[in-house]
Amino acid sequence: METSHDQEKKMELRRGVLVFVVLAVLTVIEYFLGTHGAPGIFLWLIALLKAGLVIWFYMHIQRAFREEGGH
Amino acid sequence: MATQTSAVEHMHSYAYKLRTSRIGLWLFILSDSFVFAGLLVTRFYLLGGHRPELEQMVGVIVTSVLLISSFFMNRAEVEISRGNRKGFITSTAITMALGIAFLIGVVGVEWQIAPFGPADGAQGAVFYMMTGMHAFHVLTGVVFLGIILRNGLRGHYSPERHWAVEAAANYWHFVDVVWIFYYPALYLIGTL
Repeated sequence: METSHDQEKKMELRRGVLVFVVLAVLTVIEYFLGTHGAPGIFLWLIALLKAGLVIWFYMHIQRAFREEGGH
Repeated sequence: MATQTSAVEHMHSYAYKLRTSRIGLWLFILSDSFVFAGLLVTRFYLLGGHRPELEQMVGVIVTSVLLISSFFMNRAEVEISRGNRKGFITSTAITMALGIAFLIGVVGVEWQIAPFGPADGAQGAVFYMMTGMHAFHVLTGVVFLGIILRNGLRGHYSPERHWAVEAAANYWHFVDVVWIFYYPALYLIGTL
């Protein structure tokens, strides 16, 4: 019998894969734009998006503001 | 008296320590990011619209390696929070190996094939300082991972108590975030 904690962790694993795929696609786009002389602003936007994804989904910044102290 | 005792007990509880440790780690990350941001600004101040002459293939490979390492780091943290010690150990070991591969790519390959040295003007100073400072953080991250791997092998972590794993993971992801900005700044933005 799976508990809600188990289900949540399973979902977290799946989310990790999805975030990785998005980051990989953004890196490919970044490389393509960068090597084809695209304006730097596009590369900055991609970098900001990638950093945001890592900080939110991998670093879990929202945990720092939690009242309860669990993992 | 009873209220005082319960307040002291609360301050010694794992939940309280976890909350304060998290805030401490984020403050450290924030302060460290100022160093990296300073170097990033220096790159654009000194080199402007020019970028160093670097091997594009090395850049994209080391970036991919670090990105994959972040995925495995996340996996390691989730596995220990599920109580899967074997999964945690495997993912941490893979993350460490990828961290070492990143270091080899930057210090062992890119530094050796770059057509300029650290003393060759602004280009050399900027490139070696940025990548050197970042590589030093990767190295300390690998050491941190080695410590949690050893402790994990000894069974020191549980799904309820694994702050060191969370801290190592956050530090590792932070190093990845820094490279997310350094990669385009050094390899892609500007002209040769």
